[in-house]
Amino acid sequence: MWETLAQAVINGLLIGGIYALVSIGVTLIFGVVKIVNFAQGEFVMIGMYISFFLATQFGIDPLVSLVVSMPVLFLAGVVIQHFLIRRVLGPNDMPQIFLTFALSLLLLNLSLMLFSANYRTVHTSYSDSAWHIGGLYIPVAKLIAFAVAMALSGLLWVFLRTTDLGRAMRAASQNRDVAMLMGINPNRVFAVAFGTALALAGAAGSLLMPFYSAYPFVGQVFVLMAFVAVVMGTLGNVMGALVASLMMGIAESLGIQFVGADSGLIVVFGLLLLTLAFRPSGLGARRGR
Amino acid sequence: MQTSGKMKWLWLAIGAVVMLALPQLVTSSFAIDIFIRILLFSFIGVAWNLMGGYAKQLSLGHAAYFGLGAYTSTIMQVNYGISPWIGMVAGGVVAMLASLPIGWLCFRLRGPYFTIATIATAQVLMLIFLKFRDFAWGAEGTTIPNLGSAPLMMQFEEKSSYYYVVLGLLAVGLWITHRIEESWMGYYLVAIGEDEDAAEAVGVNAPKIKRDIYMISAFLTALAGTFYTQYIYFIDPATAFSFNVSIEAALVSIVGGIGTLWGPVIGTVLLETTSALLQSWLGSSVGGIQLTVYSLILMAVILWRPTGLIGFASDVYHRTLRRKPARA
Repeated sequence: MWETLAQAVINGLLIGGIYALVSIGVTLIFGVVKIVNFAQGEFVMIGMYISFFLATQFGIDPLVSLVVSMPVLFLAGVVIQHFLIRRVLGPNDMPQIFLTFALSLLLLNLSLMLFSANYRTVHTSYSDSAWHIGGLYIPVAKLIAFAVAMALSGLLWVFLRTTDLGRAMRAASQNRDVAMLMGINPNRVFAVAFGTALALAGAAGSLLMPFYSAYPFVGQVFVLMAFVAVVMGTLGNVMGALVASLMMGIAESLGIQFVGADSGLIVVFGLLLLTLAFRPSGLGARRGR
Repeated sequence: MQTSGKMKWLWLAIGAVVMLALPQLVTSSFAIDIFIRILLFSFIGVAWNLMGGYAKQLSLGHAAYFGLGAYTSTIMQVNYGISPWIGMVAGGVVAMLASLPIGWLCFRLRGPYFTIATIATAQVLMLIFLKFRDFAWGAEGTTIPNLGSAPLMMQFEEKSSYYYVVLGLLAVGLWITHRIEESWMGYYLVAIGEDEDAAEAVGVNAPKIKRDIYMISAFLTALAGTFYTQYIYFIDPATAFSFNVSIEAALVSIVGGIGTLWGPVIGTVLLETTSALLQSWLGSSVGGIQLTVYSLILMAVILWRPTGLIGFASDVYHRTLRRKPARA
């Protein structure tokens, strides 16, 4: 019983690290640019396909292709912010919600046309290896993914705390107007925030590739988790999103273990609805602008 | 627009005659099928637009009510032999009641997070119906027993009969929208859509108005769910609670003209015609092409003409014919 419980917690924690990369991106964009990026999951998908093609065409290990997927998606983020998002920033919710939503639909269906709905996998030397510690089973690929995800989150945290650009981003997320008065260039800050968020999504994609299949709809799994985690962890809060993501991973894994294989999502959505019912005030009842 | 009262009735009468005569003039069942889709999604768009357009509560979870309507009437019909005409109204009532707790939860969030919460509720309902194997057939779904020609059970041999049913639904939806537009409620809705806090500050009871319009919107969407199930003789959780229904409800309204009476209809005509043309050119072999094109149209509308095709048409009309600037 205790071993099953511990195993479920470990499984959840490891996948929760990937959820964290996606949620931190969502919350970073929400905090700084004040929009919700509905397409965040599709950038995880793109990261996966980048790693998949580098692995199958050039034999590059998915973990190494991180150095390709992250900069490519950072650039994509800067371009998207500059040419699309910048044009709909304003007090009106509708264009913001439906522009990123349209982007999500577009990327998803384009990849459906280009790559078909087939599941793509990459087999690495460590895909099947695992450590056994006192009856517990720890898959190496997931452990590496978790460790890198935590390291990247830590780096982001240090970046936001210690660099000028990071401080400017935090200032813009606290009060955009005052930050601009203090001489912060909003377009630069927004572009870096959007690019960083997409780079994190790309990293999540590359880290997933050794143990997870790539297919056009794969991003939806992760973006739903991220949205729930971001609501639970208080909108715009990077640390809150990280902790909530790990909790979501564990909750989902416990749901699968003790309620049934298809119950992970019900548990997660149930948590969201319970949070909304009992702790709504800390969770976005106040508008973030 | 400043169409005078008499002209308006004339146009409406012409429109009604054309719509009533259409299935008699065009007999190809492929074309009638497209007409039915256009009318159905116009109707769903009209239902969405009441809440999403006027009050700007941008739901992407209207599949929840579409599915509840579809399941209520189908369960009543297949398990108890009750006519879908009764089931349709019952489904509407079920959806209305369901909108109360769902709204109570989701209206705690605003803006994009309201949208996300509505997505989650539709997904939860789909997962629940996947689990209910005893009275709702689980993931396999069920087919509706085909009784041949049975108008009392909402089953017809002629496709044109379905056309008239959904035409009637759309007329009801447009009539309700028109009545709301002209009532105090319409003004309250627009005020909430413009700025909820400001509306509350001048005494609009926003929570109550939002709750009421959500109930009306849910009721109408459920009617569409019953109709669709009767039309395709099949139900399962994936089609009844399909995310695509939620997407299309919002898309047709935004592309046509959000918060306008005819916006959803015009948006549906454009999107569904595009989709039908694409299918006849390329065949249905290329997966994803329809939504790729939809998303490009949506992006173009948002970036260049956020008031939708209606706003675009009104601008062109005023600039070229009237040589006057459009209303400020």
